[in-house]
Amino acid sequence: MTADRVPERSTHPRRAVLKSTAAGAAAVAHLASVATATATPTNPVAAGEPVEIGLSVNGRRHRLVVEPRVTLLDALRERLGLTGTKKGCDRGECGACTVLADGDRITSCLTLAVMRQDAEITTVEGLARGEELHPVQEAFVRHDAFQCGGCTPGQIMSAVACIDEGHTGSETEIREWMSGNLCRCAAYQNIVAAVADAAKELR
Amino acid sequence: MTGLVGRGVERVDGRAKVTGAARYAADNEVSGVLHGALVSSTVARGEITELDPSAALASPGVVAVYTHQNLPRLTVPPDFPYPKSFVPLQDARIHHNGQPVAYVVAETLEQAQEAATLVRVRYRAERPTAHLVDALDEAFLPDEFRGRPNEHVRGDAAATLDQAEVRIEREYTSPTQHHNPIEPHTTTAVWNGNSLVLHESAQGVVLARKIVADAFAAFDPRPDVRVVSRYLGGGFGAKGPTWPHTLLTAAVARQARRPVRLVLTRAQMFTMTGHRAEYRRSLRLGATRTGRLTAVVDTSTAQLSRTEHSIFNSSDSTLHLYACPNVHVRQLGVRLDLPTSSYMRSPETTAHFGLETAMDELSYEVGIDPVELRVRNLNPRLPYRGKHLLECYRLAGRAFGWARRDPRPGSMCEGEEHVGWGMATELHTYNANASTAELVVGMDGRATLRTASQDIGTGTYTVVTQVVADGLGLPLDHVTTLLGDTAFPAASISAGSSTIPSVIGPVSQAARGARDAVVAIAVADPRSPLHGVPAGDVVTEHGYLFARGDRDRRDTYRAVLSRHGRPVELTGSTRNTPGHTFGAVFVEVRVRRRLGSVRVSRVVAAYDPGRVLNHRTARGQVIGGVAWGIGFALMEHTVVDPNTARVVNPNLSTYLVPVCADVPPVEAIFVDRPDPSSNALDARGFGETPGTGVPAAIGNAIFHATGRRLRDVPFTQDRLL
Repeated sequence: MTADRVPERSTHPRRAVLKSTAAGAAAVAHLASVATATATPTNPVAAGEPVEIGLSVNGRRHRLVVEPRVTLLDALRERLGLTGTKKGCDRGECGACTVLADGDRITSCLTLAVMRQDAEITTVEGLARGEELHPVQEAFVRHDAFQCGGCTPGQIMSAVACIDEGHTGSETEIREWMSGNLCRCAAYQNIVAAVADAAKELR
Repeated sequence: MTGLVGRGVERVDGRAKVTGAARYAADNEVSGVLHGALVSSTVARGEITELDPSAALASPGVVAVYTHQNLPRLTVPPDFPYPKSFVPLQDARIHHNGQPVAYVVAETLEQAQEAATLVRVRYRAERPTAHLVDALDEAFLPDEFRGRPNEHVRGDAAATLDQAEVRIEREYTSPTQHHNPIEPHTTTAVWNGNSLVLHESAQGVVLARKIVADAFAAFDPRPDVRVVSRYLGGGFGAKGPTWPHTLLTAAVARQARRPVRLVLTRAQMFTMTGHRAEYRRSLRLGATRTGRLTAVVDTSTAQLSRTEHSIFNSSDSTLHLYACPNVHVRQLGVRLDLPTSSYMRSPETTAHFGLETAMDELSYEVGIDPVELRVRNLNPRLPYRGKHLLECYRLAGRAFGWARRDPRPGSMCEGEEHVGWGMATELHTYNANASTAELVVGMDGRATLRTASQDIGTGTYTVVTQVVADGLGLPLDHVTTLLGDTAFPAASISAGSSTIPSVIGPVSQAARGARDAVVAIAVADPRSPLHGVPAGDVVTEHGYLFARGDRDRRDTYRAVLSRHGRPVELTGSTRNTPGHTFGAVFVEVRVRRRLGSVRVSRVVAAYDPGRVLNHRTARGQVIGGVAWGIGFALMEHTVVDPNTARVVNPNLSTYLVPVCADVPPVEAIFVDRPDPSSNALDARGFGETPGTGVPAAIGNAIFHATGRRLRDVPFTQDRLL
């Protein structure tokens, strides 16, 4: 596994969304090339056999060998040692595994690692700039928007995207658009306050 | 004393939790770790007749498959919190659906999960009984559990009831519910010779160590066990007991001679880690026309398993809350072919839901305001001080605007919505367990506190740090609190709201002792500016030691300790007593006229937890507990198929828990008066108090909104159409 620094990294949420549009187009092109490649007998990969893939996570490029069935979540946690992202249900129901792919929030447990080779993945470990926390992280601490912390990485990634999507016009809107992330400690009203507060700073 | 205790300081573990740096049990890097996957039974009752692991063993990456045929015999740990009477994978008998029958270990998680599907198991199945209603005639009075009998008699309730001026006789039911912490149960077992380290998702590391040691009691030599749980991703009672998967992981890792990690699937958490039992409660209240209770007969019937008969949701409110000379409580059980039940956040809620709904029904029967009815019946011998519960009714009622309530059902409508206001008392019984805390003030003037209790999200790291910093007179960031490791002095499990009442006394004792020791060193040291000052005249603040009245004579912890040349170490171990914490909750609901959907739109609650040590973390328990009450009242419901005794909704898309949009803002009020009867700096146990009254308050508000009295939770939409 090598880890090379990616020279330019967009962290501004709105820029990330613009970028994701471009990346979406690139992904379509890539799918076409994959289809061609698998049709060519010179590069056969048996079903289930490990493949070498590349993942860009928090601005670093990683090469790893995984079976195609390995989820992005398990690739992050078990292969790359990025255990900040949590596994709550492994079925896309709780949101604890939420990460950003080109700025969009996705459940990494319902995503295969091989599917996201061209995306820039951001996990909770990739938000702070050294000692300086991301405004959403700061707001979560300031508003006590967590208790046990089990859902918190997912909540924070979801909140970053929620603000970026512009779904923070009112507390009601925040409640709706943050309802994909379960918090069993139910720190919800503090989460809403944190998202509203961070949104003021970011937008 | 620097005034830190009581302040709502931010969580000291906040940064670790928002950056992903906090290492939960499954996050620890363990080199060479194998991944485990459990195969569980597909029948509820019967016997394994054939178990063929050959296809699994032939699957790539598989190291071993353990079953009752090849796993060494473990001892069934005799004491709670091992809640089961058997250990799986020890014989062919099946006691419930979803019981572990095989344990696969493989090099990768995916290999283990795939191989688990390849283990072939055949059963001789017997027909299970899964529903309480199908076996009510088999109800019996179980033996006492943890020293608490299941029958209580005061006066002559039956005779008094017959002659009562007013009688309320009702049945209330609540279904099976599951804790569903976000972090699944997980164990990583690492053997080194005869030493075992378990990275465990545990609410109580000390008891987990005992249970695991008990399981290996027949091994020679008996292993040394260390249990580590620095962060817990939610427990709510599910991780209080030590469940079989932990014992099995330890056994399997020993056999495989490699570290093994197991993370239960969400579905397995519905059969392997306890639940709140299904309940039926028959309540018969007798009262005078003026609303004074004369008799209460409270007969509950709980779902038990075939192999255990512990009742976890006791009728404390019926026994203690209201003054009533004639009370008969019976807690019956029915054995069913279901998994073992256990404690779940606020065990009193099932009983309390019935009582506080019945009190509302009585209030309408006698035409007395529900708050006034409760005040009239308040037990003057309540085991708590003063009239702070009255203060809770008053504070919360005023903030809510209760005085404006027109009691007639259906009296408030807004557009398409019926609006209703309801209230209930909240009550919780907390524990206090023996605990020791060890404090070291190092030569750098910084302090480290170690105790083998836990922070399960309730804020122990923060509150303990506050108490140490306050007791010593150090800045918060000069104090490090270390929890969740049996390498530290033994301390309380974090369950039953016991952490603060158990741990704060010892922590405070150690901090004050260490402060006095450092002051004594300073005043005896000719090199200190404080040399010769009477120890009683030294003030400690922000890392400094001052002479009272002459602040220019000062020293620092760092200088004193560094001249001293060795750390100062103190332990504390004062004992506290269990008790009760009370409060009052007022809710507003809105019921859509044509759809029957219920929304809780406003909640105000007031509590008397003694002295509030941190308003921020205490408030967290209120908003969380109220949400649990909303889940209990409106949605949580485990469905068991009657033919297979299998949970049919073992996931978070069909077992509904409150989401962000379900929970309104909650206003939390604290009486905040010291309770000198608690040696935890005058604080009582609190965490599980909020929520106990919420289901009844919601049901009472629905009655007020619609005139429909609901007695069976969850109050789903279909019941209001």
